[in-house]
Amino acid sequence: MKAPVAWLREFADLPDTARVEEIAERVAGVGFEVAGIDGDVIDFEITANRPDCLSIRGLAREAATVFGVQGSVGPGVQGSGSPGVHQGVQGPEIQVTLESPLCGRYALVLADVTVGPSPSWLVDRLTAAGVRPINNVVDVTNYVMLECGQPLHAFDLARLAGPEIRVRLARTGEPLTTLDGQSRMLDQSMLVIADRDRAVGVAGVMGGATSEVSSATTRVALESAWFQPVTVRATAKRLGLKTEASSRFERGADVGAVPASLARALDLLEAIGGGRRVGNLIDVYPAPAAPRVVTLTRTKLDRLLGDHVPDADVTRIAVALGFATTPTGSDWQMEVPSWRVDVSCEADLIEEIGRHWGVNRVPATFPALRTAPGRSHAGVLRTRRIRRLICGAGLQEAVTFTFIERAAAEWFVVDPATLVSIANPLSEKFAILRPSLLPGLLDALIYNRRRDIDDVRLFEAGAVFEATGEHQRAAWVLCGSRQTHWSQPAVEVDLFDALGVAGVLADAYHVTWRTEPDLQSPWYVPGRAAALMADDGTGPRHVGSAGQLRPEIAAARGLTAGVVVAGEIDVHALHDNTADGRRITALPRHPAVIRDLSVLIATGLPAAAVRGTIRANAPATLVAIREFDRYQGRGIPDGQVSLSLRLTFRDRDRTLTDAEVQHAVERIVDALIKTHHVTLRNH
Amino acid sequence: MSVEDLQQQFVAAMNAASTSADLKALRDDFLGRKQGRVTALVKSIASAPPDERRALGAGANALKQLIENALTVREAEALAAAPPKDALDVTLPARQPWMGRRHPLTQVQERVEDIFMAMGYQVIEGPEIEDDWHNFEALNMPAEHPARDMQDTLYLSSPVPVPDGGRAATLLRTHTSGMQIRYMEHHEPPVRIIAPGRVYRRDSFDATHTPMFTQIEGLVVDEGISLGDLKGTLNTFAEAFFEARVATRFRPSFFPYTEPSAELDVECQGCSGRGCPLCKQTGWIEVLGCGMVHPAVFEAVGYDANRYTGFAFGVGIERLALRLYGVDDIRMFYENDLRFLQQVAL
Ligand SMILES: [Zn+2]
Repeated sequence: MKAPVAWLREFADLPDTARVEEIAERVAGVGFEVAGIDGDVIDFEITANRPDCLSIRGLAREAATVFGVQGSVGPGVQGSGSPGVHQGVQGPEIQVTLESPLCGRYALVLADVTVGPSPSWLVDRLTAAGVRPINNVVDVTNYVMLECGQPLHAFDLARLAGPEIRVRLARTGEPLTTLDGQSRMLDQSMLVIADRDRAVGVAGVMGGATSEVSSATTRVALESAWFQPVTVRATAKRLGLKTEASSRFERGADVGAVPASLARALDLLEAIGGGRRVGNLIDVYPAPAAPRVVTLTRTKLDRLLGDHVPDADVTRIAVALGFATTPTGSDWQMEVPSWRVDVSCEADLIEEIGRHWGVNRVPATFPALRTAPGRSHAGVLRTRRIRRLICGAGLQEAVTFTFIERAAAEWFVVDPATLVSIANPLSEKFAILRPSLLPGLLDALIYNRRRDIDDVRLFEAGAVFEATGEHQRAAWVLCGSRQTHWSQPAVEVDLFDALGVAGVLADAYHVTWRTEPDLQSPWYVPGRAAALMADDGTGPRHVGSAGQLRPEIAAARGLTAGVVVAGEIDVHALHDNTADGRRITALPRHPAVIRDLSVLIATGLPAAAVRGTIRANAPATLVAIREFDRYQGRGIPDGQVSLSLRLTFRDRDRTLTDAEVQHAVERIVDALIKTHHVTLRNH
Repeated sequence: MSVEDLQQQFVAAMNAASTSADLKALRDDFLGRKQGRVTALVKSIASAPPDERRALGAGANALKQLIENALTVREAEALAAAPPKDALDVTLPARQPWMGRRHPLTQVQERVEDIFMAMGYQVIEGPEIEDDWHNFEALNMPAEHPARDMQDTLYLSSPVPVPDGGRAATLLRTHTSGMQIRYMEHHEPPVRIIAPGRVYRRDSFDATHTPMFTQIEGLVVDEGISLGDLKGTLNTFAEAFFEARVATRFRPSFFPYTEPSAELDVECQGCSGRGCPLCKQTGWIEVLGCGMVHPAVFEAVGYDANRYTGFAFGVGIERLALRLYGVDDIRMFYENDLRFLQQVAL
């Protein structure tokens, strides 16, 4: 709201010494942020709750309260004398009918006009306030809107069918060409101003083009009304038409200002020689609003602010803002002025007092703790821990967008129907809620690769979405070298690097999961993907997977060279096992016996199968099995692979003898030969 | 022998020495603990006439220091000229393990969380997709409320179920207030919580806007909570966050769910309040919005608005991060450029 200070001064006796900057700063201090100052004009930002300050009078009232000066009556209804008000539905010159309760009050007056340019002072004021001057009649309506906050409209009476105004709902498909020249299709949810035959304006939004005031106009019908905010807002939204009028009506106009604003417009029109009233002013107000009285109690005021505002200041502020205030004991009865549509409860009054008393004056205190602080949610603590663990594993945390484009998302689901889409996305790039963290991470990886960063290791923890709900995941992507030291040749990352990240999490949380070939994640290269299966005794559960991303996915996103490996887990698999992890088992007191075993096995035989056979045929003293070499190639027959395992035997209570370990190993080897037809290389 | 003679002998011997072995012998000869010549000189002080002891002692000590310094320099030179055969080139890069860092937004978020946790707050979590009740209605924003325009909302094409069997989600949360509503629906006061998380607005993506950003909201509800308590809490937060005594300023503002409402400005760190481009010459930086919880919110969650009062605040993590790291383009936080991310301290 652009407010020329000279205009404000017409309604507030601001000290002559107060400079524009000082006025701006002090009014900003009570909640009207200043967007800019241009000469004498202050541009205030008006919050959605204060439609009354989308007017010079409203801002002047705030300024007068801030400066502790009288608000002036201003150049209000005077001169020509108050017009006679004709209460009722029918005036002598024109008939007004309200057919919908969505219009709460409707005032109309006729005036004979001589349409022409406005005087320069009026043109200058409008221009300063950011409104384009048109002609004296329209300019007067705009001037009064800026001054009083009440939008007015002028119809060319000659262009109306019959001396008749009907405020009614539009008919479905009813056409109307609005002042902006657009032809619009109306519907039954919209309130219109109509003449006998057709709609001539969208109520509270914009008038129609056919009844527009032109140089040929000689008599106008001036309208001032109150429309229900919700209907104006909904209609403006449906029509995609936001106007100075609609922005005031949809926040709530001052129902009390309806006839007074019209009277002010007539005064002004007469003062600039633009025209004069014909007949009475019609004011249709079927259900006048009862005055709203809100009680402000001393105890609540002091308690909510944490400060004591003296009685005199409470009254001073309230009265200056227009609240008719009556002290009752230590409390006050305050009648809310009709323009303060935002005030309905005691807290609202406390805000008014607090605003003008000064929030900065309220002493800073500190709330007492009455009970022990609660523990933060488990998920919050888990996410914090997961981030630290994966950082510790050498991956950099990324933060990627939750919404992605459909093409990127579809690679990472089996069934595209499970994707969750946004109904009103800003663009197609942000249309789908990510079903996985991997598409965002892959794009981030490619972003870095394109900037000549070869080794990229990124992770993210966050929410993913599918038609069945929202889930928390952690995921990671790696490309480039496993290590980059001058002492060793570079080795490209592979599946086992991706699995290693999952291993870090599993170890930290004391959960065990095993891997098996992943056949259900089409975004991985077949044969290079592992499903992570947790088993807490209730049967294996799929908690995540890792693998090598299919090169065509990276290519589709702009990366054509190099292997990208990735992993993703459901973080709920990392349930808090801290209590278990805290229990320390006594260290073994007897030495272990170690035996290395090298066997030739069929290429397709999983290591897990070999391990399983060993376990099934070993005594309880076998405490660990670890694969330490796997070799295929020179010296190994086709279709076979050499697998070397280290077996660790230990007894809790005694030292094992060579003979019994030897016996155990022989049993294991026999079983391996029998079950998997392995060939023993040495042991 | 005099100090001067001994010094001349040392200089001559040192000029003749060339290898590390020569220097070792020289050290033994002059500074050796048993046979060293300087050692002997020091020992002889005791038998000198009393009036000479002081001068003799000072001279001997100075000589000892001189020899020590000279030998140290020459020994280092000798080692450099002939390093051991198995010497490592210590100037080669180390074999440093990969080191990951938490994202700057995470670091700022956790920093804020930590400050409030130390003040006895619990950090809560909640869904990013919300229903209309938790995101708007319970927060005193019924349908067609003009304040909904302040938060241009992204809606889901079709509702998505939530785990606890509550209302299906229909939109992307525009703030984390829904978590607070949910918490209050299940807990009686006192309440002292922090609700962090991603929030979404139908906003453009440029240097100062993103359609997704990170917010931390706080809520305190109890008997007798006042605006003064809010001020004290936020002043404490500002000082802890900026690690300095910063001036703060509260400006009345409007949020549908608080009454009274205010915005907190802190003195611009870039110019100490004198005015600079960062603060648009005002000397102040807008940091967060806050206020006293609106009674309608208490009514929505079934709290007794006559008995309890509370305060709430919401702070944008990106905005804090821009200040903390001196970055001027918010998009940098979402590009995940390693050259940017790895500049951030751990
Ligand atoms: Zn500054």
